[in-house]
Amino acid sequence: MSVTKMVYPLYQLGNPQLRIFRPNWLLTLVRPGKEQPPDTVQFRIPMDMTKYDVKNYLEKIYNVPVGVIRTRIQFGSNKKRNHLNQKVKKPDYKVAYVQLAQGQTFTFPDIFPEKDRTPKEGSMEEMQEKFMEDEKQRQKLDPRRGGVTEWFGL
Amino acid sequence: MASSSSLGRVLTLSKQLQSVFRISPAISVQHCVVNLKRCQNNLLSEKSSPFALSWITPISFVGQHRALHTTISRRGLEEFFDQPENWGESNVKSGAPWTAKQLRTKSNEDLHKLWYVLLKERNMLLTLEQEAKRQRVQMPSPERMKKIERSMVRLDTVVKERETALRLLQTGQEKGRPGEWRRNVFGYEFWYRFKEYTIPWYMNKRHKRKKFYTPYFVQPHIRLRIERFLRERTRKASLKKKTLAKLKERFPQTKLPSS
Repeated sequence: MSVTKMVYPLYQLGNPQLRIFRPNWLLTLVRPGKEQPPDTVQFRIPMDMTKYDVKNYLEKIYNVPVGVIRTRIQFGSNKKRNHLNQKVKKPDYKVAYVQLAQGQTFTFPDIFPEKDRTPKEGSMEEMQEKFMEDEKQRQKLDPRRGGVTEWFGL
Repeated sequence: MASSSSLGRVLTLSKQLQSVFRISPAISVQHCVVNLKRCQNNLLSEKSSPFALSWITPISFVGQHRALHTTISRRGLEEFFDQPENWGESNVKSGAPWTAKQLRTKSNEDLHKLWYVLLKERNMLLTLEQEAKRQRVQMPSPERMKKIERSMVRLDTVVKERETALRLLQTGQEKGRPGEWRRNVFGYEFWYRFKEYTIPWYMNKRHKRKKFYTPYFVQPHIRLRIERFLRERTRKASLKKKTLAKLKERFPQTKLPSS
């Protein structure tokens, strides 16, 4: 998405000063693959974002106290081939390791917990499930025939 | 005396609560608020004189509230995740994206705030998507991504509209960055955007190396280029005509496209 380029708008004499600053940098908080210290948070950030940008972004927009930031660039795999045997490149991305200040800790929560999916009494879903079960029961072969197909026999 | 001591107690309580919250951000803020309010009520009910109560209530209340509200708005890194009650749901309900018509009725300040709200929401959805990919489960309600994207694009267009209108009113310039149509050495015309330089143009060697004119001896080549373009266009048109004629000959009943 190219909403706004992150260049400071050029001021021409007499131009209106009213401007709404709209940063279009998107951060993704990811679960760290290798175990990190408890105060470290891992982000995937856009390529053109620097450590200082990340620091300002988190402090100003999210109100998170930031200590130290380390970044690296992850090479996307170039090994895969498509059906024409051409190389397919996965896009590169930048990874930022953010150490929180003021003794804060962060652990990635389990955002897909197992929930019991028993539908409510007398709801549409329950009726559907019942119907499906009945149908399955009806489709079953006669157990007395011992697995012999229907068309075989007198 | 009693009132001041109770105030002190309330303050220390709130500080303790804050520290608890800082240690374990997993504790829901709502609980803290409820507990604190209850404590406050108990403390206040202990007092005898109604004057003291009326005097102390606003101060302690405001103080408490401000401290707690900052913590609530300061959800910090939890804003990268959905509401905890939506975790593990297969469907999350969401409204329609903002339309440009709706956004045009909003003030600049509102739009500025809304941009950051949308940005945070989008970050949350990206985080959710990545985590779903990692856990190899389906992302709950992936249509939210597209909705957010559309809202952001529309907000951007609305803000740009306003900026353009204001610029046109005040300076009469259609574009934010001035420029002009120029020709290069090969006779191609392009839009040249002016930019700021630190030194004047006659000292700038790199700028002087650029050629914004077409020499006379290039004219025949430009003519050849035009000729080639015209020939290609006619060739394509005639080919289309021929194929249509052939089709007409083979299938006289069919209706052929007019163009």
